[in-house]
Amino acid sequence: MRALKYFFDEATASLSRGFKTALVATATITVAFVVLGGFLILTSNMERVFTRWQEAAEFSVYLADAATPDQRAAIEKTLRESAVVGGIDAVSKEDALRRFKQNFGTLAEAAGDIAANPLPASIEVRLRPNANPADVGALAQKAAGLAGVADVRYDRQWIQRLMYAVDIVRAGGFALAALLVFAAALTVASVVRLALLARREEIHIMQLVGAPIAYIRGPFIMEGFIQGGLGAITALVILWITFFVVRSRADAWLAGVVDPATLVFLSIPRAFMVLAAGMAVGALGGFIAALGTREIAD
Amino acid sequence: MYALRDLSMKIEKGEFVFLTGPSGAGKSTFLRLLLRESLPSDGAITVAGKNLAQLTPRQVQAYRRSVGFVFQDFKLIPRKTVLENVAIVPRVLGAPVSTQQRKTFQVLKWVGLQHRMNAYPQELSGGEQQRIAIARALVNEPMVILADEPTGNLDPDLSLDIMNLLREVNARGTTVLVATHDRDLIRRVGRRVIALDHGKLISADERAEAGSNAGA
Repeated sequence: MRALKYFFDEATASLSRGFKTALVATATITVAFVVLGGFLILTSNMERVFTRWQEAAEFSVYLADAATPDQRAAIEKTLRESAVVGGIDAVSKEDALRRFKQNFGTLAEAAGDIAANPLPASIEVRLRPNANPADVGALAQKAAGLAGVADVRYDRQWIQRLMYAVDIVRAGGFALAALLVFAAALTVASVVRLALLARREEIHIMQLVGAPIAYIRGPFIMEGFIQGGLGAITALVILWITFFVVRSRADAWLAGVVDPATLVFLSIPRAFMVLAAGMAVGALGGFIAALGTREIAD
Repeated sequence: MYALRDLSMKIEKGEFVFLTGPSGAGKSTFLRLLLRESLPSDGAITVAGKNLAQLTPRQVQAYRRSVGFVFQDFKLIPRKTVLENVAIVPRVLGAPVSTQQRKTFQVLKWVGLQHRMNAYPQELSGGEQQRIAIARALVNEPMVILADEPTGNLDPDLSLDIMNLLREVNARGTTVLVATHDRDLIRRVGRRVIALDHGKLISADERAEAGSNAGA
């Protein structure tokens, strides 16, 4: 504890002496962690929204007009026996036309002259909430190959593609954030190194009195640690304010596509992870700079 | 090129020895070797039975805790008070705060500057600064004090004061090695003299006779 107090006292004294340069390092960490935290919030919310869409996704099997009752029975049996299916609803050609007229009144009037009902009969499939998308995809493929099936519509396929897009956004975001975090660590290292050079004589004296290496390096690592922590806290505050501003206007900006209630900020454990990462990056920068104490010894 | 060569000498425990010679004679190099800041390219330096070249980094730290040093330019930390400058030694060695304060106050009292403990080095005279540097060297009760031109920045009277202080340190049993080119000061203090020139030993047991104004 005595050692930690010594590190803290020396680090805070050094930070107050080099306030402006320390501010630059802290700001760099803030920028890096705003990007990192921003991507975490963005991708986790995209995932939540898409998962909701996926849960509500439709799976419809359209039947050929020439499908026989036996073929229809075989199709229904295949669907019912699948583990991913919660239930099925048969929609006749007449039901389909009625729905069309209800939903698209003007179009239906325009199409009023068509003699025959062009809409196919279909089977609407209700998927189980936790159905594995791969299994559902396999079922859709199987259904499409059955005799009497004209087409299969499965919304999850494009939602799944959106999910892949989230993965790409996440990977790209993290790569960018990693780059910025690396740059932030180097900035901290440079700033701490300036502090180290300013205290060259003091370090030399400490080496001559036989101070343990941890006592010589500790204050510099602590300095980076504090800068990293402050940078990460500032980043979390900026993200928090930005998030609530965005969420309060989500209705206007996203035109009702996304329910604002589904959008969430970083969870407490994730926020702590961001804070811990900031401290770790700062401490790493401080440690890199503190390695320079060996040069002073030499 | 060698900074020092063909050097063989022995300094007894509890001795007060002057190391002298003109600029470039190798005095500071010799002290750097004794502080284990440098290693000899050949030969061995043994202090209290330990070959300095064979010490591990941790042992070097432990060894340095048994050696006090005093420099011509005092090497005090300007942003720290007198008290903090002296207390830095027990502090970085992890001593409890009460021990730090007790040891620091005792040694400041011993050098006669306890009343200036809240002052900053730049507020003190050169002589006072060197006394603080000596207090810092003594606070850990070292077995050896190494002083490199400790009076180089001081006038003759203050120089003699500092030498008297070092003689008192020596009288308490601490081995003292003072590097100086000031022959007049050596003569006034009067102790064993090791003379170097161009990195070579000229004399290892010359004895200066103390002058009448050597002080206490």
